[in-house]
Amino acid sequence: MRNTYNDGRPLIMHIDLNSCFATVEQQARPMLRGRPVAIVNRRTEHTMIVTASYEAKALGVGLGMSVKEARRLVPELVALESDPAKYRYVYHKMMDIMRSYSAHVTMKSIDEGVIDFHQTSQDVRDRPLEDIGREIKQRLRDEIGVAMRCNVGIATNRFLAKTAASLHKPDGLDVMTHDNLRDVMSTLELRDLTGIAKHNEARLNSVGIYTPLEFLDADVSTLQDVVFKSIVGEQWHQRLRGWEVDDRPHPLKTAGRQYVLESKILSREEILQRLHNLCESVGAKVRSQGKVARGVFVYAKSRDRRYWHARRMASAPFFSDQAIYAQACQLFEKAPQAIKEIGVTCYELSDDSDDQLSLFGDQLAQEKHTASTIDEINSRYGDRTIHSADTLGTGIYVKQKIPFGSTRYL
Amino acid sequence: MNDEILLNERVQVIAVFGEGLNPCRPLKFRRPNGREVEITEIGLRHPSTKGKRTVHMFDVTDGGADYRLEFDSERLTWHLTMEADHYE
Repeated sequence: MRNTYNDGRPLIMHIDLNSCFATVEQQARPMLRGRPVAIVNRRTEHTMIVTASYEAKALGVGLGMSVKEARRLVPELVALESDPAKYRYVYHKMMDIMRSYSAHVTMKSIDEGVIDFHQTSQDVRDRPLEDIGREIKQRLRDEIGVAMRCNVGIATNRFLAKTAASLHKPDGLDVMTHDNLRDVMSTLELRDLTGIAKHNEARLNSVGIYTPLEFLDADVSTLQDVVFKSIVGEQWHQRLRGWEVDDRPHPLKTAGRQYVLESKILSREEILQRLHNLCESVGAKVRSQGKVARGVFVYAKSRDRRYWHARRMASAPFFSDQAIYAQACQLFEKAPQAIKEIGVTCYELSDDSDDQLSLFGDQLAQEKHTASTIDEINSRYGDRTIHSADTLGTGIYVKQKIPFGSTRYL
Repeated sequence: MNDEILLNERVQVIAVFGEGLNPCRPLKFRRPNGREVEITEIGLRHPSTKGKRTVHMFDVTDGGADYRLEFDSERLTWHLTMEADHYE
């Protein structure tokens, strides 16, 4: 553990597209530039806003607000349904640009990624990273479109690079080093730091830490033994000083999907059809990562804002849509009435290996063959080319949207 | 939500196939009603799939409205699939 600030050359660059989906729409539709735009997942007045353009944000429109609420504030707000294919294209273009500088690129989500310049070619390393940052901004404009803007942050570790990227939105470029670390921290609030939300802020407040500077000055034993009560405290101590503690893979542990029902008057059977559709989608996600699952978790939110959930661990791993749905369906028998939202998640995922002999080997092999053939056909001819007859007609409602957290399925 | 109209009109297009990052550039299209639209800017071009066919989506404008043109790379056909004209 190091007590000093990391005074090495900053070689981590964080790139963050500004209000990504709204910016992409403004790029695609020139008539929307300069106007307040909101992206939603469904064409209704009650749907939540997923992304708002800077113009909309400046007028008070926030994420999670319903379109109806937002229109009260900004009557001229243009609400557009999200267009995942467009965002995926921009994501891949952005990734191609980043990968042209280093093989060590990690996409953190659909609109942000990190370039690690530690092991890149000498030619690239010899250049000032600020120049490369400016070049990437220009390339985004040249290769995607003139309205594209991004924030660039450069630092010695991923955490500070992300912090730097959030300093001057939109279109900023900032470098954080051991020289300006304290100055920058003095301008921020605890909640500005990635990873510090309500609960962590309360934990820090409980020991008299109210600012990032006080957080930075806290000794490791306070953070480890009193505030976080685990190794997390030491990690924060290192992270804040510019030492890398976040460069580690995050193995896939769960895969799930949820859906807000399109109508209040769906029958139980119709809700189960939608649950089945979600199970097919979750099954495809699990198999696409070469995984099998051991557990299924289902939840439902009712219209009176109550939350119900149930889970079950199976004795043997499973992977097929039928197996997932059979368990989810059984669990769902105890779900409440007047449901507004449903979700299903597979957990305890592990690598799909044939090593373990099973009494039902032949049956499993057959099931696996069927599932992989269906996945192959769906991948070649389009999603849901083959699906259960039970889910026929649900596809127009339960549409695939953008996965915000993970980039695994892009 | 807004004045977006979804269409499926087969259109005639004049396009240039040249060099650079965006080698295909539609310049002008004629709608079935005879109306001609001069494209002043291509906002974004992205590929998508319809089954196994690759379709190129061109989001374009003539300065007064936004349009989406779809070029089917297998059938070599152009369709106008969206017009948004405008949002007030």
